[in-house]
Amino acid sequence: MIANLLTSEFLKIRRKGFWLLTFLGPFGVVALQMVNYGVRKDYLLQQSNDDWGYYLGNVHSFTPLALVLGIAILTSFMASIENETNAWKQLIALPVSKMNVYLSKFTVLACLMLFSSVLLMVFTFAFGLVLDLGSAVPYMDIVQYSFFPFLASLPILALQLWVSTVSQNQGIPITVGILGFILTYSAFFLPDWVIWKWPSLMNDANEPVQNVLLGVGVGCLLYVVGMIDFTRRDVK
Amino acid sequence: MEYIVETRNVSKKFGKETAVINLEMKIAKGEIYGFLGPNGAGKTTTIRMLLGLMKPTSGTIQLFNQNLEQNRIEILKKVGSLVENPSYYPHLTAYENLEALRKVLGVAKNRIDEVLEIVRLQDVANKKVKGFSLGMKQRLGIAGSLLHNPELLILDEPTNGLDPSGIIEIRELIKTLPSQYGMTVLISSHLLSEIDQIATTVGIVTKGQLIFQDSIETLRKYANQNVSFTVSESKKAWQLLISSGLQAELQQNRVLIQDCSDGIVAEAVRLLVQAGQAVYRVEDEKKSLEEIFLQMTKEENAG
Repeated sequence: MIANLLTSEFLKIRRKGFWLLTFLGPFGVVALQMVNYGVRKDYLLQQSNDDWGYYLGNVHSFTPLALVLGIAILTSFMASIENETNAWKQLIALPVSKMNVYLSKFTVLACLMLFSSVLLMVFTFAFGLVLDLGSAVPYMDIVQYSFFPFLASLPILALQLWVSTVSQNQGIPITVGILGFILTYSAFFLPDWVIWKWPSLMNDANEPVQNVLLGVGVGCLLYVVGMIDFTRRDVK
Repeated sequence: MEYIVETRNVSKKFGKETAVINLEMKIAKGEIYGFLGPNGAGKTTTIRMLLGLMKPTSGTIQLFNQNLEQNRIEILKKVGSLVENPSYYPHLTAYENLEALRKVLGVAKNRIDEVLEIVRLQDVANKKVKGFSLGMKQRLGIAGSLLHNPELLILDEPTNGLDPSGIIEIRELIKTLPSQYGMTVLISSHLLSEIDQIATTVGIVTKGQLIFQDSIETLRKYANQNVSFTVSESKKAWQLLISSGLQAELQQNRVLIQDCSDGIVAEAVRLLVQAGQAVYRVEDEKKSLEEIFLQMTKEENAG
């Protein structure tokens, strides 16, 4: 049943710009570095002996922002598909469990974000090669910088999906999204427990894996809480 | 009798507001049940509860002799529905809209063409629903509700926003469903004329309470007849008839007699003519179902 729901959800996101956004996010992040390195490549290469590492750091400085913004926009789009003509009542009156409906929405979003991360990895690697940063390509680091921020941002995804599915007023999830964006922007100054800091992979212990584990754990928790709340509500 | 829908003591409260009170709805197999009530009487709330969209505050709902709360998914496999305004995905075509439902329902792909043909939308199957008229969207909604050949079809105000020919079309379609496909239909409306023409059983709800539930024939019996006399001096005529032992009623410049057997009417006419009254008109006056409906819902309001 969940497979049927998923194919149906993927059908519904057609022509809504979901795929374009999924592409634009990672492309934008790398494009910023194209500008950066295009303008002052020599200067940037002087900054460090580890050219690949320095480049990855530059790319990563924008990844969390793009992720958080992307999550806010995609979740809001996702909810708007059903909200627009109140199709929730039609969807829930089908022989499906509300849990699976929620799960399918979450899965579609997670797939899109994951796809974004894959693109980010490809773009980062490709532009790195174009820049000719040396033969010692840090493959593991590229993978980490591409997927860790996504895994660390799962709680934000779960929270945004929850807020946008249960809000009658879509101004609420958008406000949450903007606040999240500002918090992510100021990640450096935030304490470690704030979920919007996690995608930056920063923490006091300087251990990115800690953010990933926290992200997956708290993400699951927030997902379950949101799902239970969603199933208990009446459909208007 | 086998009931497809049976609610016991169902109530629904929204905060302090009570939308539905102790509803005892019974719908037998093969019926077209007209669910009638003014706007805001609790029709849509009831229908939402029948579909499991809302949980009743108290009471139990049984569909196909199964408890809705425990067997929601099993039950909904046999139920098609259209609740209030049609829901659709405007950025998708009519075909894709049905495909999104079909995938979840897991029925064969050719059903889409079949239902599109039933509601006569096959020509616009590949157009985006965004540009559809309300009537077309409504028909698309009905098509969606028929996809899985449901045993129970629940339609909430299905003719809303349709033009007269569309209304007739949908009406004819609904009428054929029980005989052709063995469906049971629950159709709600705030217009009695609508229900009158298709329903076999009627439930009238007002202020959240079911005040009438019986066959349409029983409802029609309430439409008792009067004979009205229009005469030159109605007050005198009324006094004359009363003094002769007839049950007469003065209404503006007419006199009404409730017993309208031929003998009584002849007697009344004779009396009036003999008294020198000019009798302009003697008419049968049948209370319309609308009036009964208004009267019923009004009485309830007064109480």
